[in-house]
Amino acid sequence: MLASFKVLLAPQTVLRFGLASSEFFPVFQLDSYGAIFFLLISLVSVLSALYAVPYLASYQGIYHLQSLNALVATFVLGMQLVIVSQSPMAFMLGWETMSLASFFLVVSDRSHESVKAALLYLVMTHLGAGALFIGFLLLAQGSLFADFEQLASLAASAPLWILSVCFGLFFFGFGSKAGLVPFHVWLPEAHPAAPSHISALMSGIMLKVALYGFLRVLLFILPPIGATASLFILGFGLLSALYGVLYAVVERDFKRTLAFSSIENIGLIFIMVGVAFFAQSQGLEGLYQTALIAAVFFAIAHAIFKSGLFLASGLIVRAVHSRNLEKMGGLARQMPLFSFLFFVLCLAAASLPPFAPFFGEWIFFQSMLQNFSSQNLPVNIILISTFAVTALVGGLAIFAMVKLFAISMLAEPRSEAAREIHEKPRAGELFSVAVLAILALGVGLFAPAVLSLIGANVLVSSPAEITVGSATIQPSFIFWLLLGCLFVVWILRRIFSRAAHERIYHGWDCGQPIDASMEYTATAFSAPIRFFFRLILKTKKTLVAQPVVATNPWIATHTVTVDLRSIWMDYGYVPLGRFIIGMAEQVKKIQSGNIRFYLLLMFLTLILTIWVAL
Amino acid sequence: MAIFIQGIVVLALAPLVTGLVRWFKARLQGRHGAAPWLVYFALLTTLKKENVISESRSWVFRCVPFVVLGIALFLSLALPLVFPSGGIPQVDLFVLAGVLALSSVFLVLGGLDAATAFGGMGASREMTIAALIEPTVLITFAAFASVAGSSSLQDVFGNGITAISHPALLLSFAALVFVVLAENARYPVDNPATHLELTMVHEAMVLEYSGPYLAMLEYASSIKLTVFLLILGNLVGAGIFATVIIGSFALALFESTIAKMRFFRMQEYMSIAFFLALAGLILIFII
Repeated sequence: MLASFKVLLAPQTVLRFGLASSEFFPVFQLDSYGAIFFLLISLVSVLSALYAVPYLASYQGIYHLQSLNALVATFVLGMQLVIVSQSPMAFMLGWETMSLASFFLVVSDRSHESVKAALLYLVMTHLGAGALFIGFLLLAQGSLFADFEQLASLAASAPLWILSVCFGLFFFGFGSKAGLVPFHVWLPEAHPAAPSHISALMSGIMLKVALYGFLRVLLFILPPIGATASLFILGFGLLSALYGVLYAVVERDFKRTLAFSSIENIGLIFIMVGVAFFAQSQGLEGLYQTALIAAVFFAIAHAIFKSGLFLASGLIVRAVHSRNLEKMGGLARQMPLFSFLFFVLCLAAASLPPFAPFFGEWIFFQSMLQNFSSQNLPVNIILISTFAVTALVGGLAIFAMVKLFAISMLAEPRSEAAREIHEKPRAGELFSVAVLAILALGVGLFAPAVLSLIGANVLVSSPAEITVGSATIQPSFIFWLLLGCLFVVWILRRIFSRAAHERIYHGWDCGQPIDASMEYTATAFSAPIRFFFRLILKTKKTLVAQPVVATNPWIATHTVTVDLRSIWMDYGYVPLGRFIIGMAEQVKKIQSGNIRFYLLLMFLTLILTIWVAL
Repeated sequence: MAIFIQGIVVLALAPLVTGLVRWFKARLQGRHGAAPWLVYFALLTTLKKENVISESRSWVFRCVPFVVLGIALFLSLALPLVFPSGGIPQVDLFVLAGVLALSSVFLVLGGLDAATAFGGMGASREMTIAALIEPTVLITFAAFASVAGSSSLQDVFGNGITAISHPALLLSFAALVFVVLAENARYPVDNPATHLELTMVHEAMVLEYSGPYLAMLEYASSIKLTVFLLILGNLVGAGIFATVIIGSFALALFESTIAKMRFFRMQEYMSIAFFLALAGLILIFII
């Protein structure tokens, strides 16, 4: 079962070190750029497999374990195929394996919502795959078996319009898989619906596979894209980051919050990629390299902390039997160790020092800052606006993560299920979460080393000139100074006051007993942001008044529901779907059942074909 | 060596700054006011009081005072406040922003952990303020860093860059004042002297803390205020004692002349600060 795929994985993890860039088959080859992502996939898969063994034992009645495990193995295999393949056909084979396996994984609990989410996912992912396939075929000029190197030489001589169309197709294909707004609609539905260790794989690494593909095409196949295309990437990145983070702040479903946070993070990564290629088109070589390295570094950090958060979400959801944040609370007292690990992951996800994502953002900010200049005002304005929006997104991301941790873990339990939890985290599950939490800190502390490793592996062209500014970032210094300050404060408190001089008493209650219903909820906590950004965040508020006595309408019980709407669904996808169905209805009219009419149609088609052909 | 002298100076001055602001404010409002050094005794008394801990708290509740005061100590040690030109380690402006956010996060968690409505209210407001002021902080810092050619505060102060010697920085300086008011829970963002549930932000979060923990949190906010006043002082080229006296007087005067803003109008304050900072950054490259 799962153990088998662990074993399958283990030797390959080693291969990355021993035989990096050796050849398995003629079509499969792992180069040093792919190796970074391959290592990431292997790492997260092994950890989630270790997690899954005890985790799935609780869900024997819901999932069909044998098929689930087989599908997980197929899913991971598909992602690895994508990374090691060197030709479009192999790439698409892996891509489809990955997409289809994850489709079945999303439906694995066979509930109505999951099926709905999975079908949406299937449609979106296949539109994307179709776009990729067309893109590859266009570039290869119809040849099915060209490999990436041949594609690159063909692309170098291709006319501009083909390149532009291909860029658009690739952008849509990879962007829809990565969850860029506005192609993101499947993501907040599909990721939460899957079992948690699958969500970790999907959010933590499947999105990175899409990023891998996008960068592979941009760096190794297409010739340098111009300023327009890079601004295109940048614009969509900014939109995704801002939109994703706002919804992450106001969302009340635990796993959906994480899914929206993934959209935000992918947006950030695409911002970095966009800035990198924009800098390349403007001849700012230093910014190009640093932003690209920052993007890959942030992707690694995201894979680590987001997988950790999704694994943690599984344990929380299992403990309270609900994904609703309003039903959680008080869990930190019942599972202190777990809550600490979860806290570390949340701080990492909020990009706070001294965790890994902070350093990704930091070098990105720093290198943008170094390239503000008065020579070229338009470039400057673009960089400054990017800087400003990214900073805003960073601030809101802290809000989202604090909400996630505080509402679920702190204060009094908000429901009976959270008051007495039965299934505490088991050793295997805690181990995986702990490893990811330690990695989130460790990659941060060794950020300079990791950054130069990425630099050497991604930028094959000029690895010598990496100016990451690792001289000015001193993660371990900051970490130890912070820890030292904490220690000094602790000592001083011991000296100046008696630690035992304390009493446990109930909170300030204004004279009447307080209970959990008086606490702030997730909805209340995020209310200011919902109010301040009400132009973007569409909510639907319904107030239902039910009279208690039929004769007197004034005495009534009121129920208020606040629903979050998605502008993309309401104004984009739903009208589009309705339009397509409407068109289909129109087309149905010619299906009259009259055989002479069909003959006429066939005749007309024949004439049309001949006319076109001649 | 310089790092320790600076740490001791800042730590020793911090309660005096809070006391001076209160004293000036009382005088400006026609009250007699308590002596500025009363804060030292108040802190010592609070330190000796019994520590009452809420029943519904977790380990986070106990961490908060240590982390918040620890970060305040970090700020007083790692920023070139007293010795602008040397002896203090290079700390990047972005680290400063991150560490400040970390401190806000811990305060918010402490507010929520006590499971009262007051704590939650303060926490939600503080988190909103901290999240929305973050871009202004980063952009303002970026403006100073652009002028200095380095994002380390050491280089900004060491090169003698002030808002007076570089008039292009005036807008950024104004934005930084907005930041300082928001970060330190002063008017018009928060009222530091109230315990009225409709208006308090910072006080609501620390409501459940008592005894030594309360003393630590109060001391931390004094240190933070002092550190920010010293940063502003360095940016106009004032010495440490001039900064402390003129700064607290200016703050008291400001707080006596304006009213607190309604919380749900905070987006106006934040937008003004944000666009002021943005304009300040762009201005540097235009002129």
